[in-house]
Amino acid sequence: MKVLLVRDVLDNQLLDASNENAGKVDGIVLELRQGEPPRVGYIEVGPITMARRLNRRLGNWVARFDAKFGEGRGVPIRIAMSRITLDEPSLRLDVVADKTPIMALERWLRRAIVCRIPWS
Amino acid sequence: MKRWLGVALGIVTSVGGFLEIGSITTAAQAGAEYKYQLAWTIVLGTICIGLLIEMAGRFAAVSKHTIADAMRERFGLHFFMVPLILIFFVSLLVLAAEIGGVAVSIELVTGVHFPVWALPSALLAWGLLWYGTFSIIENGISLLGLITIAFVVAGVQLGIDWHGLGAGLLPSMPHKEPAHYWFIAVSILGASVSPYLFYFYSSGAIEEKWDEKNLAPNRVIAAIGMGFGGFLSVAVLVVAALVFAPRGIKVEEYRQLPMLLSTSWGRTGFAIFAGSLFITCLGATAEIALALAYKIAQGFGWNWGEDLAPSDDARFSLTYTVILLVAALLEVVGIDPLKLTTLSMALTAASLPVAIVPFLVLMNDRKYLGDHTNGWLGNLAILIISLLAGVVAVVSIPLEIVGGS
Repeated sequence: MKVLLVRDVLDNQLLDASNENAGKVDGIVLELRQGEPPRVGYIEVGPITMARRLNRRLGNWVARFDAKFGEGRGVPIRIAMSRITLDEPSLRLDVVADKTPIMALERWLRRAIVCRIPWS
Repeated sequence: MKRWLGVALGIVTSVGGFLEIGSITTAAQAGAEYKYQLAWTIVLGTICIGLLIEMAGRFAAVSKHTIADAMRERFGLHFFMVPLILIFFVSLLVLAAEIGGVAVSIELVTGVHFPVWALPSALLAWGLLWYGTFSIIENGISLLGLITIAFVVAGVQLGIDWHGLGAGLLPSMPHKEPAHYWFIAVSILGASVSPYLFYFYSSGAIEEKWDEKNLAPNRVIAAIGMGFGGFLSVAVLVVAALVFAPRGIKVEEYRQLPMLLSTSWGRTGFAIFAGSLFITCLGATAEIALALAYKIAQGFGWNWGEDLAPSDDARFSLTYTVILLVAALLEVVGIDPLKLTTLSMALTAASLPVAIVPFLVLMNDRKYLGDHTNGWLGNLAILIISLLAGVVAVVSIPLEIVGGS
């Protein structure tokens, strides 16, 4: 099956193993190999990659802000292409996103704000 | 049988949810200043929104995508951000106007100035979204909105000039203040064809898990529901033509609006008007906040759903929370709801080409719609109306602001 990276992968919806939305594919990382054609290594997900696509300065600012949230943050979230399958009309991850950095902001907002609002 | 009961409910809620501060104000201004002459713009706007709502439902039912989701997927991030930002800011102004409408309705009853009620009004809408379900928003509030049928009863009681109304259904050139005439015309179009409506509708179709079996009911709801909704807008214009125009009153402040019904029914009419404004604007407030949060969440691929608990879609829920707060603050500082309404409706019209043209491209993409793509007539009608509305709005807004005619 022929897959066009920009049409069928970039900006497409990602679903996780539990059928929850896990973001859009914000970036695609190609690996350049000596003497061989490039290969799709990873996809990138999250606000840093998205902001960098819009404007590099904005992306760097988002990365600096994100870095304040702890170790390992402040860099784009990369997922190996081998962990993704095409599942029309979306792409499917083989993990539950809620336990990954993809949902870090969602988890923080849930814990810090939503759960403090009565009957939420 | 169940499906057709759903159709009946859909029609009733489309009618009950049609009017809001934008359609009431712009139709009242049109009737007061040009009598029946601008009735054609309501008909045009109603045809346009009926077609767009049918398309939005068809798109969701067949492709299983929402419009925002598909727009990002089809056109990419950079292009997606243009309508997102434009529609976001214009809809934020419309949302502030709707919150102003709720606050004004409480002022009419209590006598306490509207800015005091802006935050409580937004809080009430937030409570509906946070603790309620999609069905409460779509069905419950819209059913209460049937109170707006009072405008039809008032129009019939006051004695409609059927000949004048018939003539007003055909476009004609104004006999005075042409810039102002066209400004009101595009404001009416903006009030009728608000982009948030079809984002809301397509998201609702996904929330309710529509499939191709919903295509026929969708067509009926769009045609009959929106048709009768437009009929209510025409009723407001007719009542304004019968109440304001003979007295030479221009609608320049919101305190004049209850006269639409109090002229016929005294204090009872005043109360019905306040109730109509409260219900319709509260419903529109909830829908616009939800529609904007839908667009952002779907465009960025987050979890979203009015029927999910806020803890299951924290980013989505907090997005509509912040949106409501920001819009309410515009009214807390005392921006006149009537002026904000008129301007935001005209700006909505100006934004229509940007909001609608990409949607039309999606509606003609076989990847999403297979054999259910648009026909040429629907494409042409929507394209011409949205482009004309956009061009006339861009020309008439500056003229209206500088007071030209």
